[in-house]
Amino acid sequence: MWEAIQGRETGRVRSNSFVNQFKSRRILSLQLSNRKDFVSPHRGSVNSLQADLTEGRYLLSGASDGSAAVFDIQRATEYEASGLIAKHKCIFTVDKQHENGHKYAISSAIWYPIDTGLFVTGSYDHYIKVWDTNTAQAVVDFKMPGKVYRTAMSSLAMSHTLIAAGTEDVQVRLCDIASGAFSHTLSGHRDGVMSVEWSTSSEWVLYTGGCDGAIRFWDIRRAGCFRVLDQSVTQLGVRPPVLKHTAVSSKKSAKSSSGAQNRLKSLQSKHTGSQIIKGSYSAKASVEKSRQKRLHPGMLSTLDRATAHYGAVTGLKATNDGMYLLSAGSDSRIRLWDTESGCNTLLNFETGRIQTNKAIQLATSDDPALVFVPCMKTVKAFGMWSGKTRLMFRGHYESVNCCCFNSTDQELYTGGADRQILVWSPGGTMEGEMVQDEVAEDKDNWSD
Amino acid sequence: TDKNRKYAPSFVVLLCEKEKNMKRIITNPESSASGAKKRRREKEEEEVGCGHAENEDGGISSEDQCLLHPLEDELTFSDTSVALRMMRAQFPRIDQALVPPFILQSQLYSSVNDRTQVDRELECLRREKVVRVFKLNTGQDDHGIIFMDDYLNQVDGIAKRMEEKKQSDVEVFEWFKGHVLDSKLEPSIGHDELCSLLSLAGKVKDSHITLLINAGLVTRQLMDPNMYWFAIPSIGKLWKGLLQGRKELLSLLKRKRHKEMFLAELERKRLRYSPLDMRFHIRDLIGSGHLKTFSTTSGLVVRVSRD
Repeated sequence: MWEAIQGRETGRVRSNSFVNQFKSRRILSLQLSNRKDFVSPHRGSVNSLQADLTEGRYLLSGASDGSAAVFDIQRATEYEASGLIAKHKCIFTVDKQHENGHKYAISSAIWYPIDTGLFVTGSYDHYIKVWDTNTAQAVVDFKMPGKVYRTAMSSLAMSHTLIAAGTEDVQVRLCDIASGAFSHTLSGHRDGVMSVEWSTSSEWVLYTGGCDGAIRFWDIRRAGCFRVLDQSVTQLGVRPPVLKHTAVSSKKSAKSSSGAQNRLKSLQSKHTGSQIIKGSYSAKASVEKSRQKRLHPGMLSTLDRATAHYGAVTGLKATNDGMYLLSAGSDSRIRLWDTESGCNTLLNFETGRIQTNKAIQLATSDDPALVFVPCMKTVKAFGMWSGKTRLMFRGHYESVNCCCFNSTDQELYTGGADRQILVWSPGGTMEGEMVQDEVAEDKDNWSD
Repeated sequence: TDKNRKYAPSFVVLLCEKEKNMKRIITNPESSASGAKKRRREKEEEEVGCGHAENEDGGISSEDQCLLHPLEDELTFSDTSVALRMMRAQFPRIDQALVPPFILQSQLYSSVNDRTQVDRELECLRREKVVRVFKLNTGQDDHGIIFMDDYLNQVDGIAKRMEEKKQSDVEVFEWFKGHVLDSKLEPSIGHDELCSLLSLAGKVKDSHITLLINAGLVTRQLMDPNMYWFAIPSIGKLWKGLLQGRKELLSLLKRKRHKEMFLAELERKRLRYSPLDMRFHIRDLIGSGHLKTFSTTSGLVVRVSRD
């Protein structure tokens, strides 16, 4: 450690790499914290965890008993064991006893991305409520047509404050806090929408994953989705350099567009009721053109039935650089997609079993590139580019639902069906880290 | 030169491949760790040749296989295509005429160390049309891999049998082979796409599609009435055996006190409800994560993995 600091001092090691080495060493030594504990007030399984995006100081959790609680991550409310263990009790909680509280389970609780003055909760009682943090009152209510599975707000948004809501209903609705009304309805999915996630590279792009197994990309300035991810459209790893990519993409786009046209024409000829399909379509061209006009170009994507997973899509997470999207499915697979080309990068993460009936929350860390995935009772950390298990966190007594990674402190927070919120922090003390490479092991210093 | 021949070492003399194997093991007593690895690789390469020889002979019984090529020594391979060919050679010879040898994707995961490499190499092989991947409806994420030649032989066999039964519309099998299998490499296909691809060859009628479904080459999807899965024909008995064999193997291990057993001992047991052999199931369960192996001083031990 001292050598590393000396290297930084003399300029041998650059500041970024010094910080990254230090952080990655700490992340790879994550273990159940014996210094910090959150006292969870929840009486039901913890469904959602999020640290606030401005300072990373407050943790918001939503649980199945209809309660949402806020904890202070950095300052403990009391200390036990003569100052060694920090206990963090919740600052406040809104639950069923609250006059405007949710009546059923809260499936998703997120902070307003601009500041911590507001937070948004979505619940199985068909309501999305926007709360004022300082007064703990519900300010705006949105009534949804079905159980709300997930809500999301864009952290990049400069010009809109839209809440994307994925519900049991096939349509994704965007709610506007400023006006109190629904601004968009996105149709295309054929079953409920279990996960929604805004893009981290564009404030207008939304990713949604449905129970029908499809992942759709929406640009909210246009009608319809502009991409449907297909697990059979693959690329081997990181995107190839520009020249090769344009050749491949033009071939792919030509094939896909001709494929789409063929599919469209054959679908329409099917609609006209003929059983015998002729090889040439010229006779039916005029009929088809008129039928084609009926479908808005933005709605053509509803005919695309490609699936990204063989079951429901239970979790989505975009990487911080905006280039890749991770999706978890109820077929117990995690897939990594390239957002620009829409291809499956064929990375295989060694997950055993993943919860299939509930949505799970994934977390990512940048350096080392890790994905934290709740797999039944454990949380496994996979290397994002190798797919191998790097770390395994066993501590919960029941299945884990959500995890949240705090990159400033290199801590992982996980919430599970055992109503606990566990903290995983880097093992070892500060003195241990400073001293570790100094004392050479004296191999002769042993005794029976 | 006669004198030289008299004193020539015995393993130069022409023996059958099996005995050559055994001789080489006996005459190499000084096997260090690296030597063992080299031996394994040598055995692998020989076994590829062995596999072909066995194919021609009509196969040796699984007991002999256990003794000669213990699973412990050939649990992992370096390359997906080597693994595929090895496992195809070891596929049990029941109903050989009806079902082509298939390999499960979970078996590949247990055989090659890096799963991502397996996925990518499999994708390359699929694109080159060397193998074909089918989704099996076992309820879990099971995929069966068949070599393209075996599958095409299978389709030909079905076409011949249908002709003998004096079925009409038998030309659909030729259309299927020529147009559909060539262009559609994914495991599923939509009804309209299937019709349009078949119509490139001739006039398609509903009875053609019915014939394909009856032959077992395509099956309807449960989730979506317009989509079909490509299927392996006549796989019913083996599919049932697969499910029951898995359950039996897992219950066998779970009944033990510590839920574990030596791999060599497990391999010698026989499964009552499955026509597929024990190695098939062991590889499959290790690859899908239900079983874990770890090495001990007396060899590999297989244990039921807790979640």
